[in-house]
Amino acid sequence: MNNELRLMITEMVKRSGEGHIPSSFSIVDIIEFLYRRVLKITPQTVNSDDRDYFILSKGHGCGALYSVLHKFKFLTDQDILDYSTSKGILGGHPDSTRVPGAEASTGSLGHGFPTAVGVALGLKIKKKSNRVFALLGDGECHEGTIWESANISANQKLGNLCAIVDWNESAAQLMPVDDLPGKWKSFGWDVAIIDGHSQSELESFFSNLDFDIDSKPKVLLAKNIKGKGVSITEGHGAWHHKIPNDEEFEIMKRELSL
Amino acid sequence: MKKLRQEFSDTMVEVGSNDQDLVVMVGDISHGILKPYAEACPGRYFNIGICEPSIVNLACGLSKVGLNPVVHTIAPFITERSYEQIKLDFGYQNLSMNLITVGGSFDYAQLGCSHHCYTDVSLLAHLKRSVIVLPSSPIEFNKLFKDLYQQKTINYFRLTEYPHGVVFKEGEIELGKAIKVASGDDITIAALGPQLKNALIARESLQSFGISAEIIYYHSFKPFDSVTIKESVSKTKHLISLEELSAHDGLFNQCLHSIIGIPDIKVCQMAVKDFIRGYGSYEELCKSAGLSHEDVVENARKLLNR
Repeated sequence: MNNELRLMITEMVKRSGEGHIPSSFSIVDIIEFLYRRVLKITPQTVNSDDRDYFILSKGHGCGALYSVLHKFKFLTDQDILDYSTSKGILGGHPDSTRVPGAEASTGSLGHGFPTAVGVALGLKIKKKSNRVFALLGDGECHEGTIWESANISANQKLGNLCAIVDWNESAAQLMPVDDLPGKWKSFGWDVAIIDGHSQSELESFFSNLDFDIDSKPKVLLAKNIKGKGVSITEGHGAWHHKIPNDEEFEIMKRELSL
Repeated sequence: MKKLRQEFSDTMVEVGSNDQDLVVMVGDISHGILKPYAEACPGRYFNIGICEPSIVNLACGLSKVGLNPVVHTIAPFITERSYEQIKLDFGYQNLSMNLITVGGSFDYAQLGCSHHCYTDVSLLAHLKRSVIVLPSSPIEFNKLFKDLYQQKTINYFRLTEYPHGVVFKEGEIELGKAIKVASGDDITIAALGPQLKNALIARESLQSFGISAEIIYYHSFKPFDSVTIKESVSKTKHLISLEELSAHDGLFNQCLHSIIGIPDIKVCQMAVKDFIRGYGSYEELCKSAGLSHEDVVENARKLLNR
């Protein structure tokens, strides 16, 4: 699934010498699904007041976002070729002032999600029906601002907000007490757990999602695999910010071309 | 004189009643005094809670959907603690907001160092699109807020608990323009915000020593009025800068930049040279920081050798 996007991410990182491949592979299936099946946004409505918002809070996974934005024509071939160069608009973390479709500049963890909460609150104040989605890392959930804003969201009844946590167990390497369902539930959120690489489970979750403006905010805990799609990048360890050498690049291309 | 915090509340009612985009968020302070705003503007007042960095992030989100956020809480928590949010969300993303603080410098004199803040103005000044004002009488806040809040800038309003007591006319108050409060020939005293009070008391005392001091008052730190200070120091050749900010980056630096090239001048910096650790009244902490009107007189006499 989405091997062509994973290949694009790999080539971007190999060409530029910058990028977080496993983090991007972990979330690319979800982001692709959102843009294809869920979000009301197109390249033509990217600045529309009526668009849905998607904020990639774990900004270092931006390779996934860029590849999806390219697939749905928000970005050009040249944008991808110029990734992480002085000529381009795409860098190692997304810049909302340059990238069409990047709703927030993220990179410092713990910023994007609270910003999404602000967007949701703002839309609620304006009595608008746009929906807001934020994708955050499970490691990012170490940040205090995640829980501050989770607390605010529940108390402000931001039913127009859906958080998605990339629960690939990066966080548990450092903090094994990793009861994310219990934590989010205790903060007053509706919690769901699915396989974030499964089209059918993504379809089932998002098609049944209720965005009643005064309901509880919702969090999807996506059981993902870091580095999903290539044998040598799956799991934790050295690959987090590693650039493939020529031999590894050939392995990745081969596996992603199958 | 009306308290600045009361004027803040009154101005929010005045502006918010006519502007549906104004949204006020507080970090669990001033909720009593802002009740009239909450009643006048239902659905646009939020006591978010004690979570300052997140409040800045939230304001970023509000700004992204076209609302005009006002964030109000205690200076050290919303500036020093939350500076990364201000920098990344507003500095880099070209968004606008209004940050209105109390408790700058040692205004919360009896609460100790956790509630003191000397670097807020300097930190905000680094952001290219920031505008920084220290209104120290009610009319200054009302005028400057109404002039500024719809500009697409990062607006920082630092409200003092200790107004200087001078009553200006609305027409005298202009963003980025200093006010010559008193004329003199021997020495220029540039005072920032509430320190105008000490400058004026000192001026009276200096007259008994035959010293004529010119008082230049700054409510606007950025943009800074270089012209007025340059004209004054060109005449007096002596300058004291008087402020409650850190000595490492504040009014003194702005003045120095403004007067580069004027020959044969003598200058004295009066600012907070080290963080204050003790407790006491505002006046007592002014004294311990070397910022009393007596200190101004002593420094002026030393500078003039009179």
